[in-house]
Amino acid sequence: MIHFISKRLKHSLVLLFLASVVCFTLVVSAPGNVAVLIAELRGAVAVPGYVAQVAEEIGLNKPLLMRYVDWLGDAVTGDFGISYRTGQAVSADLPQRMMVTGTLIAGSALIATLLSLLLGFLGAFWPYKLPDRVSRGLALIGASTPTFFVGALMIYGFSVTFQLFPSFGFNGPISWVLPWLTVAVLPAAVLSRVVRVGLEEAMTSPYVLTAKSKGLGRTAILFREALPNITPVFINALGTQVGLMTATGIIVEPLFAWQGVGDYFLAGVRFRDFMVVQACLLIFLTFFIVVNLVVDLAVLMTDPRIRRQWS
Amino acid sequence: MDKLNPLFARLNKFPRAALIVICLFVALGTFAPWLAPQDPSAQNLLEGSAGPSAAHWLGTDHLGRDTLSRLIIAANTSLVSVGSVLIIAMTIGILMGTIAGYHRGWVDDLLMRVVDVGLSVPSLIVALAVIGIVGPGYWTMVLALALAWWPMSGRISRAVAVSIMSKPHIEALRVLGASPWRIYFGHLLPGTIGAVMVYATADAGTAALAVATLSFLGLGIQPPTPEWGQMLVDALPYLESDPRQVILPGLALTAAVIGFNTLGEAIALNRIPKPLTRRMLAIRRIEVAGWGKENSDA
Repeated sequence: MIHFISKRLKHSLVLLFLASVVCFTLVVSAPGNVAVLIAELRGAVAVPGYVAQVAEEIGLNKPLLMRYVDWLGDAVTGDFGISYRTGQAVSADLPQRMMVTGTLIAGSALIATLLSLLLGFLGAFWPYKLPDRVSRGLALIGASTPTFFVGALMIYGFSVTFQLFPSFGFNGPISWVLPWLTVAVLPAAVLSRVVRVGLEEAMTSPYVLTAKSKGLGRTAILFREALPNITPVFINALGTQVGLMTATGIIVEPLFAWQGVGDYFLAGVRFRDFMVVQACLLIFLTFFIVVNLVVDLAVLMTDPRIRRQWS
Repeated sequence: MDKLNPLFARLNKFPRAALIVICLFVALGTFAPWLAPQDPSAQNLLEGSAGPSAAHWLGTDHLGRDTLSRLIIAANTSLVSVGSVLIIAMTIGILMGTIAGYHRGWVDDLLMRVVDVGLSVPSLIVALAVIGIVGPGYWTMVLALALAWWPMSGRISRAVAVSIMSKPHIEALRVLGASPWRIYFGHLLPGTIGAVMVYATADAGTAALAVATLSFLGLGIQPPTPEWGQMLVDALPYLESDPRQVILPGLALTAAVIGFNTLGEAIALNRIPKPLTRRMLAIRRIEVAGWGKENSDA
């Protein structure tokens, strides 16, 4: 158990190191002279002398390895440098933005879990009957509809036509509903298939036959025998989907005027503000690595077979 | 003709609705310039945001451009960019995959680690990071998406290449003294390309989605070139007064993606040997559902 955890932790640290190298090289290899950009930003015309001064100031003349160490040291303490566009610290409102994105992902993950379990169980309860076909059809449509189209439909349906929820803003739970639903559609569709297929697979296994011969009903078997068995698979798939939600957030946050990390990343990409792109990318990659670690531990907790293997 | 019969037999097993949608999409995309009833960029501000009429079957957008023509031309835009993305991505993926499958050893390990990392980061984030560094533009978009897409075909072609390399005829060739070049270009590469092409078709749906998403974000295909995602974002400010212009391109895109996704699932299921029991089908399905998460235990 402890061996497993320490092994995963080491693995995650290596991945974190690689992620930081990728983020660093991305910006270093960007075309154009950073010093000129900053010199122009400060209002001065980019005179060669001033550019050289700026280059000296931000450490462009140091060897690459030194620059990497400096940058990493700053990044670890939450200092991501200065935005090329605004001239302000990149990290100024990052905590606030991370909270917004966190709210989005947490709520959507919860909704996706509940919806997918509902749809998956409906299908498994009446396999190849009408509820199964409906849930399968919903999953296909949900997995194929572009997120931005889902968002537009949500706004049109719930905000313009019925005026139930506000169409933009981040003020209170009422305004969170539409973005949550929009982000949750795709993962719910994918996960419902995982649940449905996993349950069907579990229902063909010998222990279910044993349970049947003992006289257990279908409901009891589904919930008591099959559900614990698909939990590890489900958690694994959920982890992947939560990772993907960061990408969905990039689309959904601007649509609902949420000032999250995804929105920040997109703005950075639009204005080629490398420092913002770099900071957000590092946050995303760190998030994936942490999610993967948590998923591995959760699978360890829920799957006695793996637990035995490592103890 | 005899060579085509197995192909038809295979096609018959695919869901007909998906095939129809895909054929329609490809036909529309290929012949769009001749099919569009009107000039897609001809503006007529007096007839802006009009409903369906004899002149404009699906109405007009806020600039008075004919929506039907724009939807049809958008299929062309989408088809061309998806084609370029997949061709570039598959070229990189097949090269990397066959090299890994041919050499094995540390080359294989290294390339597959790269593929694992590439697969574990959402493709949208990879593509946006590339665009953020290089700057927006049509070819940047295509290259960025290809960079985000190649790991998938890389992994598949590596698996195919490994299975081809373990077949007896490769060993026989070695014994006969065939050069590595002959084995690679004469036997390994052609075999892999065929297998990967099938998967690429199934992947076209997600690629079309990615092109539309980037265009929606304003970083892909630029106006006035019609593209579904870009048409949608263009009409979004008028959602309240003219929802049709938002819903039509969205529906067109969704239909295309559903077609490709259904085909993809059919391809994945079709590869099981007969007779096909329900249990085997279930196992195969779990495998398919697990494709996305494979990388998490890398």
